[in-house]
Amino acid sequence: MEKTELYETFQKGLTSVNGESYIAKKADVAATLTKIFQDKDTHEVALVETPLLKEIGAVDALKAAGIKVDTDHFRKNAPDDKGGVTEADYGIANLGSIVQMKDDIDCRIVETVSDVYVGIVKLSKIVDTFDDMIDIMAETKPFPKFAGIITGPSRTADIECVGTVGVHGPRQYSVIVVEDA
Amino acid sequence: MSNELLKQEIERAMDNAPLQKALKNFTTAYPGNRARVYKGYDFEALREKVHEVKSYARDHLDEVMAEFIKNAEANGAHVFVAHSPEEAMDYALKLAKDNNVKLCVKSKSMASEEMHFNQNYEKAGITAQETDLGEFINSIAGDTPSHMVMPAIHYSKEDVADLFESYTKQPEEPVITKEVKTSRRVMRPKFLSAEMGVSGANVAVAETGTVITMTNEGNGRMVATLPKTHLYIFGIEKFVAKMSDIRYIFKVLPRNGTAQNITAYLSFYTGATKVVTDPENDTKEDKNFHMIILDTPERRKIMASEDYKDIFCCIRCAACLNVCPAFRLVGGHVYGGSIYTGGIGTLLTSFLNSRERGKDIQNICLQCGTCNTVCGGKLDIAGMILKLRTKFAQEDGLNPVHKFCLDTVADRHLFHSMLRIASVAQGMITKGQPMIRHLPMFLSGLTAGRSLPSVAPQPFRDILPTIKQDVPNPKGKIAIFTGCLLDFVYVDIATDVVKALNMAGYIVEMPLGQACCGAPATYMGDVENAKKAAEMNLNAMEAEKYDYIVSACPTCTHALRDYVDFFKDDPEMLKKAEALRSKTFDFCKLVSMLGGLPDTGDGVPMKVTYHDSCHLNRYLGVTKEQRELLKATKGVELIEMHDCDKCCGFGGSYSVKFPEMSAPILEEKINNIVASGADVVAVDCPGCLLQIRGGLDARGLNNIQVKHTAQIVVEKREKK
Repeated sequence: MEKTELYETFQKGLTSVNGESYIAKKADVAATLTKIFQDKDTHEVALVETPLLKEIGAVDALKAAGIKVDTDHFRKNAPDDKGGVTEADYGIANLGSIVQMKDDIDCRIVETVSDVYVGIVKLSKIVDTFDDMIDIMAETKPFPKFAGIITGPSRTADIECVGTVGVHGPRQYSVIVVEDA
Repeated sequence: MSNELLKQEIERAMDNAPLQKALKNFTTAYPGNRARVYKGYDFEALREKVHEVKSYARDHLDEVMAEFIKNAEANGAHVFVAHSPEEAMDYALKLAKDNNVKLCVKSKSMASEEMHFNQNYEKAGITAQETDLGEFINSIAGDTPSHMVMPAIHYSKEDVADLFESYTKQPEEPVITKEVKTSRRVMRPKFLSAEMGVSGANVAVAETGTVITMTNEGNGRMVATLPKTHLYIFGIEKFVAKMSDIRYIFKVLPRNGTAQNITAYLSFYTGATKVVTDPENDTKEDKNFHMIILDTPERRKIMASEDYKDIFCCIRCAACLNVCPAFRLVGGHVYGGSIYTGGIGTLLTSFLNSRERGKDIQNICLQCGTCNTVCGGKLDIAGMILKLRTKFAQEDGLNPVHKFCLDTVADRHLFHSMLRIASVAQGMITKGQPMIRHLPMFLSGLTAGRSLPSVAPQPFRDILPTIKQDVPNPKGKIAIFTGCLLDFVYVDIATDVVKALNMAGYIVEMPLGQACCGAPATYMGDVENAKKAAEMNLNAMEAEKYDYIVSACPTCTHALRDYVDFFKDDPEMLKKAEALRSKTFDFCKLVSMLGGLPDTGDGVPMKVTYHDSCHLNRYLGVTKEQRELLKATKGVELIEMHDCDKCCGFGGSYSVKFPEMSAPILEEKINNIVASGADVVAVDCPGCLLQIRGGLDARGLNNIQVKHTAQIVVEKREKK
């Protein structure tokens, strides 16, 4: 897929499962991230640093907006932090999914326990379809000890078959796609 | 469990208003939602692949399992292969004891239910906390799952509010979003403090030693991320060989199960992942990761059986439940409830859990075959249930009353004499009417919500010689197989079949040695009488003498075509059966093959809606021909009703054995017919005709006629 179509497909997939999707140039990612948390009344955020998040100055931008940021001791801190940020290794356009392909317990904790979660993924790492992602997985040797595909906020239909968003995992779920190339 | 107890459970389920509401809402919305998520996907090709990768793993189980264990252990997993649920439980208890576990948080694992995991942990003083919302609700109520994917579908939000109040001792409003929040609030500290997590696997990949779990609520991720000890429990049926194989399963599973493109979480665990062992110091270590693989003799027995080994291709998507007319009425508890339900549950319960329960619940299968059309693993679920019925009948014998009836039907002379006597004797109950509205005493259930037809004064075998078959230059000769209903009740349909085939240029003869097709015996598990019928009819029909054999009853057509199955070891009879199979067609199919009927008709407007019979649609695959024939008849306007291909609830002896279930299925069909605004319901199956005509008559809806397609296409052409 060509880049615009790729993002539009991703956005369509994610919004169809009650997620929010944003696209930002590198220079604007920190501002987009900050605005998402401000809009969602989130004052404490657990953020797992990556080279990209460092490069764009995510932590400083959040702190400058008066948001408390934890970048370590996630098992202790993240459950009390309303917000959470991690960077994904891949995205899947036709589903609006993000993918972790490494055994990083910090990422897993933040992705799992946050109430307001924001995933960051590079546009260049978004593949067209689920099949493309499985192809990558099948070729990844050795296979990482953990891999996870996340698609939208946690959900249930266990009471009266009524679809309800937000159970044990994030209730509000956004992804910022970074235009990296 | 006796039949009476089963009937009581059915009655209880049908009186449970929240269950009925939820089942109706879900099963009504499901087909459309499912179709939407499959847009752009070739479901048939996908499930073919699911079947292929799952059968490969089954056929190479020992090597696949050895590779899985080797890879998982290389990554730090402790793998235990349990040969009984008890062995599995001992391991799980020891694991908890060794790690000083007080609280264990569980995400869904059906295999753990086979082990009575929760009860055994409780007995040992360990709290086993179900964290999936539905399972949590059931655990407070002390109840069992009523659906494989939506386990608490039988509770209303009001019930949930009461249950939550009893659990939290705090007021709870019956508002679903608030109840979901409560479950989050209650469960969160448990996730954080539990010493152990338990998970179930959807798939286990040999190539990498990976277990994969698909969930929506996030509890699966919690139990696998936070506690220091993590136990996976799954059966040997979960294996695939390669990582690449999983694509098919995870495309079908969410679409079939809950009509989702993908669930919120799809998580892959390969050996011991990292866990934080000391939050204060942020210490990270490999977790204490264990797996119990249930490799029980019962599972091996299924695998080794030619008849049932495809059960291994099941991916537990629950689509067979979601479309089953019987499940839609009663939900999961009637199926034994504790673990597996619906069509696949009937099979799994019989083999893995309780033969006795399985023996009872296989009876509530209508054999409509709808499950087969949606099954994600391409299993012949209906066929396997029928084999199971036969197996139980052979092992335990049939109910003596049923056996007596089937023996009578199998004795052509006796049965035909009885029918001739009945045509005279029935005057007492028909009171001169063409329908029997009420039967006395214990037979009254037969006429609950439905009237029955009376036996014709003269059987068709006596009528045929009086029909003048005016066919100049006949193209050939066709033998009619009438089946019991056309010979003795619906003689007018048989007459019109002859007339239509005359119009198509063929002479029709009726071989008089023919008897019941054997389907009633087959569907009650009585192979002996079914085979007897097959022998009689193969000799009687003399297929070699005719160009075609026509039947106007798809159940008979299906039965005749399947006679080959009885004579695999008898070359002479097999030859006859193959000849019969190659020449036998259902009325509409045959007429269409012969080039259809002249494009005529009386032109008088007639709104016709068509009801697809289960056998013609799903077993014989005929859906277009009858509609084309109707549309080519001048005056006919064909309007499709909602759910035209849904079972009418007749199911042969089913409507006799389970009138309480057959009646509401019929009710729905009648409502759809009325809503279509049609004057006439066209059917191709005399059984459906009996059922639907009876349902309309019992409701005083005599303004709507029910006719066999043969009747409509002939009558309108004769009146032209």
